[in-house]
Amino acid sequence: MEASKVDMFIMSNGKFFEGHHINAIREKLLIVDEEKWPMLSTLQFKEPTTILIVSLLAGTLGIDRFMIGQTGLGVGKLLTCGGLGIWAIVDWFMIQQATREVNMEKMQQFLH
Amino acid sequence: MTLNRGRLYTILFIACFAGYIWLYLNISETLTGQQSFNVCLIKQVTNIPCPSCGSTRSIISLSKGQLMEAFSINPLGIVVAIIMLFTPIWVIIDLLFKRKTLLNFYQQLESLLQQRKYAIPLGLLVILNWVWNIVKGL
Repeated sequence: MEASKVDMFIMSNGKFFEGHHINAIREKLLIVDEEKWPMLSTLQFKEPTTILIVSLLAGTLGIDRFMIGQTGLGVGKLLTCGGLGIWAIVDWFMIQQATREVNMEKMQQFLH
Repeated sequence: MTLNRGRLYTILFIACFAGYIWLYLNISETLTGQQSFNVCLIKQVTNIPCPSCGSTRSIISLSKGQLMEAFSINPLGIVVAIIMLFTPIWVIIDLLFKRKTLLNFYQQLESLLQQRKYAIPLGLLVILNWVWNIVKGL
């Protein structure tokens, strides 16, 4: 894929990934076929900040985990009042990273 | 965070272990007659019970064999009790025989729950249960 397109993708979507992912994504995208560009631009990622807001407001109900697609953990959080309140507080600090990891998994599925 | 076998089993084991400790603390408190402390963030902040408030009381009355009372306090308590009973056994069996049946089951259940036809009715049930909790004033 053209370097300019890859850089454009990274610039507009960099916030969805961890810093150490960006380089790997860039290198892989440079190898990927040009045909995949339309598909790549339709990929939807979860915004870490939005998920953080949801986590702050409705973390004890597990809505944040449901939203990033980790339904099992969401049910666990819902059934235990946010892990007796502890897990809910821990997730305020963990959920952004978890969201970025989930985004990376989605990206990897696309790249393979 | 890809969920592999070791990770899932560790999380489940810790969760169940914490659950049993929590249950023990609560049972010993009800025996000595002290007031139990409240950990639910929603209830602390808004004074409204959350969907799973009362699960502990439900499980305690279930352990005394009062199924109807457990159901009337909070039906979710029965679900939690079933999970807490069977998960540790399943994890240990899986670890002993070096299989990953629980992981497969978990992943199947997760993809099932992500389908709208199951997610919406179950979500509605939880909301109904929540309304019931607020009406009961747990």
